[in-house]
Amino acid sequence: MTVEKQAGSPGNQTEKLMTGTQAVAQAVRLADVDVTAAYPIRPYDGVMQAVAKLIADGDLDAEYIVAEGEHSQFEICKHASAVGSRVFVGSSGVGWMYAMESLAVTPTLRLPVVAMIGNRALDDPGAFGVEHNDAMAVRDLGWQLFWVEDAQECFDATLMAYRVGEDSRVSFPVGLGVDGAFITHSQTLLKIPDQEMVDEFLPPYDLGDRLLHPDNPISIAPQANEDWVMEIRKQTDDAAHRVKDVIREAHADFRRIFGRGGGNPFFEEYMTEDADYVLFGMGSLGLPAKVMVRRLRDQGQKVGFVRLKWFRPFPDEELAEVLTRFKAVGIVDRDYSYGSPKQGGVLFTDLRAALYDSEVRPKLVNFIGGLGGRELTPEMMDDMADTTRRAAEGESVPTVRWIGVRE
Amino acid sequence: MTTGREAGDTLRADQDTQQGQTSTEVREEAKSVEFTYRGIFQKTLAANLCKHVVMAARKRDWLGSTIQRYSDSPERNGIPAKQFAVIAPDTETLEGHMAKYEPNELDVITCLDDTMADGIESWAWYGRQPINVRLRQGGTLLVISNRSKEELLRVIPRKPWDWTLAILPGTPSLAGLWVYRDDGTDMRVLGAIAKSRPDIFGIEDIESVIRDDDSLGDDYVAALKSGHDEVVVHEIAAGEGAEDTYEPVKLPGYKEMREAIIVPAVEVGKKNPNYSSSSDRTMRPVVNFDTCIKCRQCWIDCPDECFDITDEELHPINYSYCTGCGICAQVCPVEDCIVMVNDLEFVEEGDKDMFPLYKENREAYQEWREEKVAKGRIQHHDYFNADTWAWAGGSQAENTPDRNDRAARNA
Amino acid sequence: MTMAPGRALKLDPIKSIKKAPEEEYYQSGHRTCQGCLSALPMRLMAKAAGPRTIVLGTTGCMYVANTTYMSTPWVVPWMHTQLGAAGSAAVGTSAGLKALMRKGKMKDEPINVIAFCGDGGGADMGLAAISAALTDVEYNLLIFLYDNESYANTDIQTSGQTPWGAVTTFSPPGKKHRIMQRRWKKNVPGMLAAGHPDTKYIASGTPAIPVDMMDKVRAALSAGGPTYMHVLDPCPKGWHYDPEHSTELGKLAIETGIYPLYEVKEGVCNYTGTTRQIAQGKRQRKPVREYLEKQGRFAHFKNQDFAYFQKKVDEMWEQWIIPGVVSFSYGGPINITGETAKIRNNNVERTNASWIGDRPGHAHEEFVDDGLAREWLDDNALGDPSAGN
Repeated sequence: MTVEKQAGSPGNQTEKLMTGTQAVAQAVRLADVDVTAAYPIRPYDGVMQAVAKLIADGDLDAEYIVAEGEHSQFEICKHASAVGSRVFVGSSGVGWMYAMESLAVTPTLRLPVVAMIGNRALDDPGAFGVEHNDAMAVRDLGWQLFWVEDAQECFDATLMAYRVGEDSRVSFPVGLGVDGAFITHSQTLLKIPDQEMVDEFLPPYDLGDRLLHPDNPISIAPQANEDWVMEIRKQTDDAAHRVKDVIREAHADFRRIFGRGGGNPFFEEYMTEDADYVLFGMGSLGLPAKVMVRRLRDQGQKVGFVRLKWFRPFPDEELAEVLTRFKAVGIVDRDYSYGSPKQGGVLFTDLRAALYDSEVRPKLVNFIGGLGGRELTPEMMDDMADTTRRAAEGESVPTVRWIGVRE
Repeated sequence: MTTGREAGDTLRADQDTQQGQTSTEVREEAKSVEFTYRGIFQKTLAANLCKHVVMAARKRDWLGSTIQRYSDSPERNGIPAKQFAVIAPDTETLEGHMAKYEPNELDVITCLDDTMADGIESWAWYGRQPINVRLRQGGTLLVISNRSKEELLRVIPRKPWDWTLAILPGTPSLAGLWVYRDDGTDMRVLGAIAKSRPDIFGIEDIESVIRDDDSLGDDYVAALKSGHDEVVVHEIAAGEGAEDTYEPVKLPGYKEMREAIIVPAVEVGKKNPNYSSSSDRTMRPVVNFDTCIKCRQCWIDCPDECFDITDEELHPINYSYCTGCGICAQVCPVEDCIVMVNDLEFVEEGDKDMFPLYKENREAYQEWREEKVAKGRIQHHDYFNADTWAWAGGSQAENTPDRNDRAARNA
Repeated sequence: MTMAPGRALKLDPIKSIKKAPEEEYYQSGHRTCQGCLSALPMRLMAKAAGPRTIVLGTTGCMYVANTTYMSTPWVVPWMHTQLGAAGSAAVGTSAGLKALMRKGKMKDEPINVIAFCGDGGGADMGLAAISAALTDVEYNLLIFLYDNESYANTDIQTSGQTPWGAVTTFSPPGKKHRIMQRRWKKNVPGMLAAGHPDTKYIASGTPAIPVDMMDKVRAALSAGGPTYMHVLDPCPKGWHYDPEHSTELGKLAIETGIYPLYEVKEGVCNYTGTTRQIAQGKRQRKPVREYLEKQGRFAHFKNQDFAYFQKKVDEMWEQWIIPGVVSFSYGGPINITGETAKIRNNNVERTNASWIGDRPGHAHEEFVDDGLAREWLDDNALGDPSAGN
């Protein structure tokens, strides 16, 4: 749980006990979402159940459409967004994959759809436990991606997603990675602000002269060819370059209004000040990681943990500045990337690329673990910490290792 | 399509042809042959022609490749399209011409329907391009036409250097996707190329290809020879021809373009300013406003929104967009009120609206109209080329029994 | 009070060419084939709908050939959507407008929402989404399917709407198999009408009969709730015929009875135009051969193929419970109320409990129990013959 001791008045916030999906639903309510489309798949769909109840009880005024498949679900929301409605949508695992065509076109249309991905292993086999490959599959396409640690962050990140995505300098869809089971299905304490505070943080959704409406004569997305596509992609690229500054602004506002959010918008540093080596990862594995850090610190180890929040845009410079202070970084990938360089995970590959230009580079070791929802136990965390320590001390260790697999 | 290469540019030394050297001179470099044709109607014809260029080159131990111009795809009925055959003496030379949408320069441009001689607009933004826009210095434009050199040069723009115009007498051979019109046009064109450009291939090369193919018989050789004998090759001097008014396109940069793939809608009462469909035409409708009964059938049935409705309730035609489909002439209930006329009869008129002439001087208009109809009237077309058929996807002369006898086929 | 876009602009029927509005909302400058009768329905649909319209266009000929190379022929606002997404795009657009109008974030006014799709994207890939849209009675929208009987934009491949035996690039005749396309065209408007009884308007038309088509568009837009139209579009490229014959072939498809014109309006099916005359016995169906032999895509047909095709069309007219619309025949009487079933009786009064009130989807709130419902009996009681079942 993110325990914040921040300066500044946190205003009028109510403490609640909720699952991650219910927390997202609360943010959807306070964001006054206009249209949502639902389709059942575990473990994300608790959010849609919660939203349905909010609408039925009159706590949220929104159109609620049950689609006949994820492709339609996401198309419905994309088009509602195009006519000016603030939308919310979500899926998990292969459901997210079923929507892939819609996921590909939404960022190039620059529509700020906000989606919750209840991270779930991809079929086959059908398994409902957490893996990050589902949300990661859109990482090249223009989706902004944020991974949360607990219910509070579920709530906070949803508001942040609307604020950043809808900013006219950005106008990108935003996906929230919410670990299946550990975050979607466990209840933790969080503070819910009142409508006034949210309204101060989140302006109304305004598409300006991109609105699809009879008073605005435009054609959106005519067919194009090699004469046009590079320019269209370059516009998207320019916008992708602008996201980080918009995140910094929004984050500063968020801290001021709600009194939390951490010092760094892009990642969290835990006990890293004097660390020799750190572990690095996203999502709920931050919790066993921090427990491990405290345990090893008690034993005299100078270990820390860095939890990545914004995976896209990838905070390469910011991470380089921080991570080059350490002798080794143990990257925990709750995902796989068969056939990639070193057959390492996605975070490992991205981080290696981010650090390539640094003059002083820490040793990077990669752990593939926790796939399909397998718990990352204290023993596994210690094992990963130990390997990272040995790398920090100059020992030769395997670059990529799968953790906790029965032989 | 590229934006770098503009018509009339001089070439850099490292580009695929040699500056200052004319097309027929240099033997050992690549040769590029273009077939410009009516989309869909002549698609198979163009493909057959491209294939035979390469196969003829093989007889001289050259290599070759054919290119369908990707941006033409999907082809549409009547919209001008291009296919290319590139031949080269060796692999390295040929490679210089690969991974492109079309050759930068053509040694031979073959225009398979002379109503494209006045220019072609294949897609938006590029405007109507001259038929010979990428002809190489000293190159050959071959046109299938019954018109004279002088008539054609009224619409084909001049070049700052010499080139040749080869005219193969004939009418365009038009078919469709499924049934090929196996009327010998392909062989005649190959014969004409062999005669006018023996540096590309000789008639004996094609004849050898024909003999290799069991399914092609003596009538193909006869067609080949007739094309070879009948083509007339004219030397065209620098500066001879129509004025070249083509402005190369300037496409907007990404900072000028609106974000999020948005273009402004067409204004009320206007038409798409970036694309004119007029070069699709082989024929155009001419209206007798005196016999018109103002039923509006032509207006409502036009798929291209070309008819206006005037204060007098008459229906003039916007020729900037008329594609010459012929539907209006078919649905008009008054005989000969709308008549289709060969489009090359209107070189002076261009795409001009002729209704103002009618309003100003009825008699002059009727005189004009009658002259056009007399010179270039097109009869109604049959449904499809059922008279000749061979499967478009199969070999060129795939013979089924009783090929031309439908009754026997259906026995 | 419902705030719904397309809160029935109440467009009047056009009835004659002279009365057709002159304004064009889809204009010249599209890269379609000569004689394209898929472009003509775009024009007529936009003309009938008028300027207060948003159009969603799925990928297909009417995308690639219309909004071609970063240009557009559309005067009304238009947005691209994905191949199988006509249904979802229509729902999303309509729901988005409805929410904003209800919540006071946008001026409340009727706006037509039309999503078009080809037979490939609509009748094949996107059928599920169209079906779902037709159950979403709270949204006013029209799904407009232009049927040129192939995946035309990719250079003509077989779709679920390609006629039996037709040549496409996926069904070329060859030495071993003359007939490669051996599926009969599925009946989409009839299927949708039969399966979505709450839809107020489903129709079949063709641009070859333009006033009828435009009137059907207006009826759909005025009906309220989700609606569907299917139009048959002769395609000179895919069907292989000279473009000048497009209108004629469209009419011939109807005169042979191959393609019926009808509308299902508030639960009642009626034929229109020539089809009505055929149904009433006032006109004989022309032999299918007259239509098929004019097209190169049937050039390989032999007598037996024409005969087979004719038989299928004859069966459709002679055996289907509603010829051309509902395909199964009827096995026997039903006797619920003691009267004989009224299937073909013009005087059947049709009611639909979901249409009462003025809030689509909320009719149940106004429904009054008329006291005729039977008392609920549990399993034990139901099993007992003496329990008065």
